[in-house]
Amino acid sequence: MKVAVMVFPGTNSEEETQRACLAVGLEAELVHWSWDRARASAFDAYILPGGFAYEDRVRAGAIAAHDRLMQPVREAAAAGKPVLGICNGAQILLESGLVPALDGETARPQAAFAPNAPLGKYRSTHVYVRLAVPPETSVLTAGMEPHTVIPAWASHGEGRLAASAEVLERLEREWRVAFVYCDANGNALPDTVPNGSALGAAGLINGPGNVLALMPHPERDAWGYMHDGPAREAVRGDAAAMLAPSGGIALFRGLARALGLGV
Amino acid sequence: MTRCVEISLIIPDNEAATAAETLRRLGFPGATLTRADLYRLEVDAQGEGPGLLEAIRRIEELFNPNKHALRERGTAPEPGEVWIHEIAHGETEPREGPVRIAGRTLPGVNGIERFTVWRLADADGAPATHETVTRAAETLLCNPAFQVASIR
Repeated sequence: MKVAVMVFPGTNSEEETQRACLAVGLEAELVHWSWDRARASAFDAYILPGGFAYEDRVRAGAIAAHDRLMQPVREAAAAGKPVLGICNGAQILLESGLVPALDGETARPQAAFAPNAPLGKYRSTHVYVRLAVPPETSVLTAGMEPHTVIPAWASHGEGRLAASAEVLERLEREWRVAFVYCDANGNALPDTVPNGSALGAAGLINGPGNVLALMPHPERDAWGYMHDGPAREAVRGDAAAMLAPSGGIALFRGLARALGLGV
Repeated sequence: MTRCVEISLIIPDNEAATAAETLRRLGFPGATLTRADLYRLEVDAQGEGPGLLEAIRRIEELFNPNKHALRERGTAPEPGEVWIHEIAHGETEPREGPVRIAGRTLPGVNGIERFTVWRLADADGAPATHETVTRAAETLLCNPAFQVASIR
């Protein structure tokens, strides 16, 4: 099973993302923006990693959403293949209309990861996200326990879910808010949301559940030595534990299960 | 009284070039595109004089004479323009006294709103039509989930 890790000019998290895929037994290849369409179409799943594609010109994710490299991603999404966007990749998925796609595929955005509130500033901080839909809602979470909590690092200036009141109501009602910010015990409290995101949302999915847009970075908290707080203290001094995949790797295990690997 | 101050780049604008290239790929043939920051100011009698422009020129966060031009302009979009404005998030605290930017007071300014102005023209330099500007805003320049587009 082969995963494409898409690389636009300005992407900067592709190698960590590839490494997380390899750690769960997936083949993963970096697919650069200069690849031809046929070559870029020959994958079983797609990941749009974090970074600043096209320097966030116009808006975060807006130019990349219209890049020709998105055509195979659109086709994969329509075919039911797993597509995961992380941070800037999540912004691209919202700008492209692939998520939440409330009335099916659209080329127009229905929601945005807008500048953080209240200050509109970039923020880098450790967070936890909790699975907020029944696991079977998304092929990417189908193997997880209900309410699974995953650690990650939030690292963005534009991560606040923004949409009209009508869209926000539908996101909740139609189970599109896949992950919410929470504390280490899974409690979704106002002060666990690092960016003022509506509904406390950290991740959204499309209707069929095969496309997930997740703002914080699970791949940056996917080994023992990357953890924060008590989880980091727990592995301190234990080389094997520090170098073992854990924490955010859960999301990549979910992707591997979606592709039929028993992990 | 409302005054509008436009600050544009006098050096190449890579962001506008990227947006123009994207629009061309999306079916806007020959589109030329320029971009500027626009500040709409609500001023009292003290803010009506020429000193206001000088005060803005002194705010280095807004204006760098080596790369920017600054001019006062009309208070509504002109043909070929779309003004993009972010929808306010949450409740705004009532503010007392004149506006401060980067620690500097703007005397006589009691309110300020920031816009991004995109100006589209056809291959001959004529302002793009209302229909073209609207389509460009809907296709690329505005995300209505958190932005508003104003077009003449």
